[in-house]
Amino acid sequence: MSSKLLFDRIDEPGLSTLAVYERRGGYSALRKALAMAPEDVLSELEASGLRGRGGAGFQMGKKVSFLPKGSMEKYLVCNADESEPGTFKDRELMQKSPHMLLEGIVIGSYAAGANCSFIYIRGEYVLQADVLDAALAEARAAGYLGEDILGSGHSLSLTVHRGAGAYICGEETGLLDSLEGKRGNPRLKPPFPANQGLYQGPTLINNVETLCTVPTILRMGGSQYAKLGVETSTGTKIVSVSGQVRRPGNYEITLGTPSREIVYGLAGGPPEGREVKCWFPGGSSSPVLRADDLDLPYDFDSIAKAGSMLGSGAIIVVDDSTPILDVALKVAKFYRHESCGKCTPCREGTNWTVKMLERIDSGEATPMDLDIMASVQEHIIGNCLCVLGDAMAMPIGSMIAKFRPEFEAHIEAARARNGLGAAGALAGPAPALAQGAL
Amino acid sequence: MPRPQPRTITLTIDGREVQAPENAMLVDAAKHGDVEIPVFCYEPKLGNPVGACRMCLVEVEGIPKLQTGCSTPVKDGMVVHTQTERVKIAQQSVVEFLLINHPLDCPVCDKGGECPLQDITFGWGGGISRFIEPKRHFVKPLELSPLIAIDRERCILCYRCVRFSQEISEDYQLVLSERGAHSYVSTFDGHPYVAPFSGNIVELCPVGALTSRAYRFRARPWEIEDAGSVCTLCPAQCNVTLTVRDERVLRVLARDHPEVDDGWLCDAGRFAYPAPDGGERVTEPLIRDGGMLRPVSWEQAMEHAAAGLQRAGVRTGAIVGGQATNEEGFLLARLLREGLDSPHLDSRVAGALPLELHRALGDPRLQARVSDLEFAHAVLVLDAEPITDAPILDLRLRKGVRRHGMRLERAGSEDLQAVRELARQLSERGEEVVLLWGERLAGGPNGADAARALLDIATTLSLGDVEGAGLLEIPAWTNGRGLREAGVLPNAGPGLSAVAQEGLDARGMADGLIEGELSALYLLGADPLERLADRARWEQALGRASTVVAHAAFLTDGVREHASVVFPAESYAEKEGTVTHPDGRIQRLRPAVAHVGSTRSEWRVIAELAARVGLDLGVLTGSMATAQLVRAVPFYAGITPEEIGGKGVRWQEREAAGAYPLREQLR
Repeated sequence: MSSKLLFDRIDEPGLSTLAVYERRGGYSALRKALAMAPEDVLSELEASGLRGRGGAGFQMGKKVSFLPKGSMEKYLVCNADESEPGTFKDRELMQKSPHMLLEGIVIGSYAAGANCSFIYIRGEYVLQADVLDAALAEARAAGYLGEDILGSGHSLSLTVHRGAGAYICGEETGLLDSLEGKRGNPRLKPPFPANQGLYQGPTLINNVETLCTVPTILRMGGSQYAKLGVETSTGTKIVSVSGQVRRPGNYEITLGTPSREIVYGLAGGPPEGREVKCWFPGGSSSPVLRADDLDLPYDFDSIAKAGSMLGSGAIIVVDDSTPILDVALKVAKFYRHESCGKCTPCREGTNWTVKMLERIDSGEATPMDLDIMASVQEHIIGNCLCVLGDAMAMPIGSMIAKFRPEFEAHIEAARARNGLGAAGALAGPAPALAQGAL
Repeated sequence: MPRPQPRTITLTIDGREVQAPENAMLVDAAKHGDVEIPVFCYEPKLGNPVGACRMCLVEVEGIPKLQTGCSTPVKDGMVVHTQTERVKIAQQSVVEFLLINHPLDCPVCDKGGECPLQDITFGWGGGISRFIEPKRHFVKPLELSPLIAIDRERCILCYRCVRFSQEISEDYQLVLSERGAHSYVSTFDGHPYVAPFSGNIVELCPVGALTSRAYRFRARPWEIEDAGSVCTLCPAQCNVTLTVRDERVLRVLARDHPEVDDGWLCDAGRFAYPAPDGGERVTEPLIRDGGMLRPVSWEQAMEHAAAGLQRAGVRTGAIVGGQATNEEGFLLARLLREGLDSPHLDSRVAGALPLELHRALGDPRLQARVSDLEFAHAVLVLDAEPITDAPILDLRLRKGVRRHGMRLERAGSEDLQAVRELARQLSERGEEVVLLWGERLAGGPNGADAARALLDIATTLSLGDVEGAGLLEIPAWTNGRGLREAGVLPNAGPGLSAVAQEGLDARGMADGLIEGELSALYLLGADPLERLADRARWEQALGRASTVVAHAAFLTDGVREHASVVFPAESYAEKEGTVTHPDGRIQRLRPAVAHVGSTRSEWRVIAELAARVGLDLGVLTGSMATAQLVRAVPFYAGITPEEIGGKGVRWQEREAAGAYPLREQLR
């Protein structure tokens, strides 16, 4: 289950310095890559089957291959915004082993033919950005970055850019706008960043963990790496486990490990005397799963088949001491706060959902509101400019579907507390769209 | 630069085959099949779609998610559904979302009755409201600027105004502040939105969030009539729709013409309309009596003017400018030349130019169109300031630079060698070069040299042979080009024909008046003290004139101090006739409102004066005047008001252009 690649001796003192990283064989993958043709590096990446670790799970090799060939200015951007609630894996990687990321970026840029790269790091990661800056200076001095890297002819500039704090800047096109100095709003796709990204140039955008994995793949060989994990989810993944567990933290697991082993085995399960009520398998934007889904193998496809998603690999565990309404409110309020406001369903839908949830808690709701709320989530999903709207609507929709009796009980209890009559008496079909059209 | 010339493809929308240009956005392509897909944020004038409002979601076969029709280019064989249950629900839900925070104050909203949000809610909405929570509130309405009020509660955050400010007028003032449901439109620094084209955002706004402070609460859409005309406040001659209520213009809107204004208006054109009704307008004939102007009857004024002109006879000069139409200039030229035997006519602000140069500069093959500014490889602006001389061209130049990578340079004509060199450098960008030049280039003491240099450059760069290249002049007066072609020049008759006897130009007339060679001056829309060089000399000249007949809407200095007779002039909203755009497009003015006070049409006044000095001009209606003009100008031959229609007609693109008087050796 836990075969450590990225987290291999991650706590070794001084690993963030070039000396220790090199002593452990650091930058050997880069030397190996630079001795190969860029196309061969790309085929290693494709052979590895590595899927993006940021949330969408798109195959990294394929993403690189989408970049147009030619001599135009191309960019590589490392997404270190890590803004999905419950996700804190990139922070540990960058803080403890920054050179691993730098090495991955240089190899990635070599495969993609990019000569200009950025690490877009969230503003709150002050320490990590400082660590990266220090590592960057060391790597530059050692000739791993800059002009004609290690005599290969490949050049790469790298800038650590600190964000100003917005969830939407973790969305790749919002990130690009922010990097260009604009308000961080997502762009319409197509054109996709691979064709028209940063400053209109072809741009490869990858998550920190994805790029950190690149040196390992080069060292092991793509096909060897692909033997780890399961067929469509190869390799290892760092899982951030948080919420009501005894040992929250980052754990590197082989994809396909049973979820129960992660939640109970590694993270220790919920505190004494409590049971898992539900869990988010991939950050707060993934639809919640129930306790009996814990037997699912933790890989991209198994989780997707169960109606959720692996996302950024952040497991949030909710135990039976927490009302589901509190969970829903927490999630909805976060996304309402972070909605950029550009597209209608997300801007208005997140706002409306929060207001309805608050009404449940204040005892002014009826079960009909649950129907309306569920239909509002349906109207958000798939209709937005980017996935932020879906990121709220999917978990909220799943909570209403899976925990409706608890919501209804909450409504009745709140009404009683409020001195209002039972809502059951008011029950009736909720108005839906496309029936009463003019 | 190549202009898009899309091939026609066939797609299926709602089971019907529709022919549309390839890669047109689905929303536009659907219109070819009479299918309307509702939009809020989409406005092609603003450039690339942003897909923000999500109103235009439709189903495209082969794509699992619903697609925004505003950003989906159509391909051959595409199959689209706009009426399925799935689409209906998505569109209804967007309407529902938009109405969440939109106050339902339509009965007191200026936009009510002409509001896309109302229309789309009615056409594509669910007809029910499920939202019972409190709406968001803002202080309202606020002054976004002295001209525009903003009601942030009504705003649906479609981004149109912000995109206009950022990407069209490029004043970079409007932004979206805050985020999510708290977003609101404001200026970046919180200062008023003061910019030369700010009024366009009022027209762009699909709801009642941005309203014109001048028009607010003045009328409801069912109380108004629209009247199409042409703004003649500057040579750009933008196409406008005048909003009329009770014989008054209450609003000016753009009447999109891609070849003229690209659908935008400047703030002067949009907001200056109350001036004619502002109380200072001359609304009845005046004559000078004891040093003061006093109102008289038309009969007295006519008598007075006719007597003065007849006394002066051949010693009469005429300056035509302002907003005068082709017909007015043409008829006045006839009055002078045929009725008074005087050759002294001018419609330029300074300096005479040899007739050959006038003809060569107007060579139909050399004339660039307004849209060429956008697609040219390079534009050289010479002796002109588009933002003040013809503001809307400024936006066109910006568009060329921003969207098509056009190279823009500007220079003055002081150093002609430098200008030649600059033009040569620009031509390295590509063969489509447009020289956008101001009339003052050919008006100074070295005007003729500068004009020759301009023609030289044009010949060297073969601008006459390249489609999309050429010269485009910004005249000093709105209808400068038309007046010259109508024969209002000291050395040219109608159609730039040669004249038997050359007259004095404007400057010469001043000298003539001072020296006693002339004794009367006829001013049609032109006040020399306001617009001509050397004010002191003109003060003196006007003081010496025994008769000054002026058509004026306002008592500007020269008219107030020196006119012997003042005829009330029409505003452009009252005018009938034609004007000629700087690029040769003949456009039609149509009266939108009745004459104010006892104002009469200028052509009618001129015709009557002619009759009183013994010349029958033979015009009883405005269209008779047009017909006479068209007969007199060979390269206008056959043009009828019907052919001009609402969009105008460029005479260079008609067969009669062959009759243009061009002598090859002069080029």
